[in-house]
Amino acid sequence: MNQMTKPTPESQPPMLRAKGLTHRVRLETDTLTILQGVNLEINRGESVAIVGRSGSGKTTLLGLLAGLDTPTEGSVELDGATISQLSEDQRAQLRASRVGFVFQSFQLLPALTALENVMLPLELAGIEEPEKRARELLERVGLGERLTHTPRQLSGGEQQRVAIARAFASEPVVLFADEPTGNLDNRTGQAVSDLLMALNREQGTTLVMVTHDEHLAARCARQFHIEAGQLTEPEALGEPVS
Amino acid sequence: MAAEQKLMSVRRDWRERDVRVVLAALVIAVATVATIALFASQLQRTLVTSASSFLAADRQLEAENGRPIPDAWLQEATARGLETGQMVEFSTMVFGGGGFQLVSVKAVSNEYPLRGEIEIQSGPDSPRELVKAGPQPGEVWINPRLLRLLELEIGDSLEVGNLQLTVSGLLIREPDGGFRLSALAPRVMMHKDDVPATGVVQEGSRVEYVYLFAGEESALEGYYEWLRPQLEPSHEWEGVRDGETFSRSLQRAERFLLLGGSLAVLLAAVAVAVASRQYALSQRDTVALLKTLGLNGAGIGRLYLRRLLLWGITGVVGGLVVAIPLFWLLASMLSDVLERPVDIYLDPAALTPALLTALVSLFAFAYPPIRRLRNVPAMRVLRSQPGESGREAWPDMLVAIVAIFGLVWLYAGELALVVSLLGGLVLLLLALGLLGWGLVTVLRRVRGGGNAWRLALVGLYRHRNASLSQIAVFAMTLMLAATLVLVRTSLLNDWQAQLPDDAPNHFLINIAPETVDEVAGFWDEQGQPLEELYPMVRGRLTELNGQPVKEAVSKDERIGALNRELNLTWMESLPEDNEIIEGQWFADGEQNGVSVEAELAGRLGLQLGDELTFTIGSEKVTEVVTSIRTVQWDSMKPNFYMAFPPGGGLEGLPATWITSFYLPPEKKTALNAFSRQFPTVSVLEIDHIISRIQEIVQQVTRAIEAILALILAAALVVMAAVVSATLRDRQREGALLRTLGGRQSLLVRSTMLEFAVLGGFAGLLGVVAAEAAVYALQFRMFEGTFNWHWQVIIPIPLISAVVLSLFGRWQLRPVLSVSPMLLLRRLE
Repeated sequence: MNQMTKPTPESQPPMLRAKGLTHRVRLETDTLTILQGVNLEINRGESVAIVGRSGSGKTTLLGLLAGLDTPTEGSVELDGATISQLSEDQRAQLRASRVGFVFQSFQLLPALTALENVMLPLELAGIEEPEKRARELLERVGLGERLTHTPRQLSGGEQQRVAIARAFASEPVVLFADEPTGNLDNRTGQAVSDLLMALNREQGTTLVMVTHDEHLAARCARQFHIEAGQLTEPEALGEPVS
Repeated sequence: MAAEQKLMSVRRDWRERDVRVVLAALVIAVATVATIALFASQLQRTLVTSASSFLAADRQLEAENGRPIPDAWLQEATARGLETGQMVEFSTMVFGGGGFQLVSVKAVSNEYPLRGEIEIQSGPDSPRELVKAGPQPGEVWINPRLLRLLELEIGDSLEVGNLQLTVSGLLIREPDGGFRLSALAPRVMMHKDDVPATGVVQEGSRVEYVYLFAGEESALEGYYEWLRPQLEPSHEWEGVRDGETFSRSLQRAERFLLLGGSLAVLLAAVAVAVASRQYALSQRDTVALLKTLGLNGAGIGRLYLRRLLLWGITGVVGGLVVAIPLFWLLASMLSDVLERPVDIYLDPAALTPALLTALVSLFAFAYPPIRRLRNVPAMRVLRSQPGESGREAWPDMLVAIVAIFGLVWLYAGELALVVSLLGGLVLLLLALGLLGWGLVTVLRRVRGGGNAWRLALVGLYRHRNASLSQIAVFAMTLMLAATLVLVRTSLLNDWQAQLPDDAPNHFLINIAPETVDEVAGFWDEQGQPLEELYPMVRGRLTELNGQPVKEAVSKDERIGALNRELNLTWMESLPEDNEIIEGQWFADGEQNGVSVEAELAGRLGLQLGDELTFTIGSEKVTEVVTSIRTVQWDSMKPNFYMAFPPGGGLEGLPATWITSFYLPPEKKTALNAFSRQFPTVSVLEIDHIISRIQEIVQQVTRAIEAILALILAAALVVMAAVVSATLRDRQREGALLRTLGGRQSLLVRSTMLEFAVLGGFAGLLGVVAAEAAVYALQFRMFEGTFNWHWQVIIPIPLISAVVLSLFGRWQLRPVLSVSPMLLLRRLE
């Protein structure tokens, strides 16, 4: 990957920058404003939590930051590229090479084995020896013995660990996580978030996580609150809780 | 790309229910269409070969002028790679045993017959055998009746003119015997080289020279093109004869097969369409994820296109694996009953429709919803997005319908069929629209409650879109299946009506006017009364409105009726199975005019009021066309192109009488007594032809039933596709209802009722649309008459209601057997 040295947050332009981000959805009768003038800068290697209630607009914000969708107004820059100026295919290319995802509902392909699920983004990004790397990662997340199992044969926690292995497989520069423990019980959720944080630290990835879980949010360096489409950063918390 | 390949594997796809339905639909489509096309092509070959064997060749050239054709004509045929053979036919008296007898001699060359076989016996009690050549020089084969008439034995000699020939066999049947009525006296077959020595054939004798030709169709056509300008009016070039009952039966069977194949194509297309749309919907999450992981639109397109190709290959291979052995089975069944089996040949060209069906089903029906997958937003991984409204699908549907009906047209080559089926479908959709409107306006008022009926109706209303599309597909499936069942039934009935067990199987020809009553009396005594007796006068149609008929009629028309003598008759009343389509039948006492058979009238372009001149012997008779009527050629009764009124144009001309009657096998011996009493009356035995036709019809019926079973299997696949489409939603709803406190019995009752209503409507619509399609088809393709089929109109909706409600009950099984909690979680 193109990340040869690990830059310090201060000396580099931010990994993610959102300016005046506004998103509206046209309904049958009127228009619904989901995000309103959101500004945000996230530095390289930072871990950031966006906390908010259901319907506050946090998932929409995550989708816009990750380039899954385009804003009605405003712009998003990801690792120097202005997402809103890219075509659909260019955004796909950007995601394949620099972005990783972890979802609340795991989003593994049911017909593929654990190993094949992890290899998938590696192959899409054209990385060599995808199987070797995928095996390493699955061993790292503790599923070295379950390589040939399909998602249906795995528990929720195991599925999310496969998803985390997949997310880190292509060594993304930024990782987006949408309620990664939302579908898991407390203990499993704890183990999964431990793994996520640990891998994030090991690889120096920038982490953007959306959650309504205050405990999980507290493990990130910075926290934003979102309510009715408005983003606020209460205060810098200093060292994250680990 | 490796990842794309990884995502594609039939084995992996097979795990998905929708893919299984698509593949099953494809396999059945290819199998049905291929089996039918292969069988139809086999049937076609059988038809041509059997019809050719009626000529003992592919073509015949008859010279009725008593002169052989120039040698150059035969040399030209040989030069063009055609096989040739010759026959000379004449009537003469033969002497032998205790007496003499007028016989009809057929002298054949070594090559006779070029097609078909001769059936002979080496003695009265010997088994019948099929041989491929006529008697050797010095030998003669005679009709068994002649053996009895002259009290001859095998090995005796028979005097033909100046020549003594040895009777070496009994002639049972000639391949070119057919139904021709020209064989008036008992038949004798000898070698052509012996003819000069008999001294019978001399300049001016009444002799017919017949030349046989066989070979490649193109060579035959080319030869005819070369020959045609040199032919004289007394030369008649004959191809495969139409109007043979045998060919007609097979032609109808072939049409039925084409109809069946077309329906199979339609059903398969519906199944593929439903299943692949469902598959596409289920793939939306996967596509969103792949996009999130960085696969671009083109990559997604490639991925699914390749998958479709893979399915296509699997479907075609699977279909052929089923079709080829099945075809083999059907073809050998048919072959078993043919006297002259046609080699079973797997015609590669017959596979084209099957391949096209797979291709069209996939690309017109499966591809559009799958192509739209690339528009699925990546954002769907985070939040469910509105699905398709169904409006996007309309233009695709239109293209698909055009494609599929185009395919049916191409396949069956019958616009009437396409229009009938399309008409039935349009009617069905209109009725469906009405039903949808009713559903919305009437059911909106029903409010839910504890009552199962109300719950069922509310269910129908809430799922009105799904309900309507289910009704549409069920109704369409039922329509297609019912159409086929109805056409099959009427086809079989027609055949049975056409050839009842006591269908006339013997013709009596050449009955002298003064013996008519005696002949009728003879058979009345035997308990085998004759059908209607008709007078018959042989004559040629020579002028049309004062112009020579060959000039008056377009040259492209090859009309056999113009080349040979026609059987003319007079009759007082119209035969029961004839029907006047233009003009009026002769009024009582009317003595002018002539009634013309419709097909011939059409080909000659005859109108009411046209003047026809016939040459009968040395007389000329001119009459005006006063009516045009249809004739049942396959009725096994005497039929006539031209009918005059009693006392009309034929009055005073020498006539003989003709009739037909049924003679059961156990009374065959009565023919001997008859022949002795009426030596001048000719008996034409066609009982073996009829029993052959009956056997063939039986085998073809079996083949049709096998194919019907295949098509019904296709219908079941469609049903499965539709049901699988709504399975999860229904189960989730059931689980929710239970969670919210609904009793199991209520749930079961309301679901069963909902499906029963759905099935009842679908059945009703399907049957009505089928009746409409059959109504149209009956007229255009099968020449039958239409009746309402109460035997299906009432039971089909009922059966459909019961079956679907049981289906609904079956779908509920998982909902009832596990806890709602577990189920909800499982369905998430």
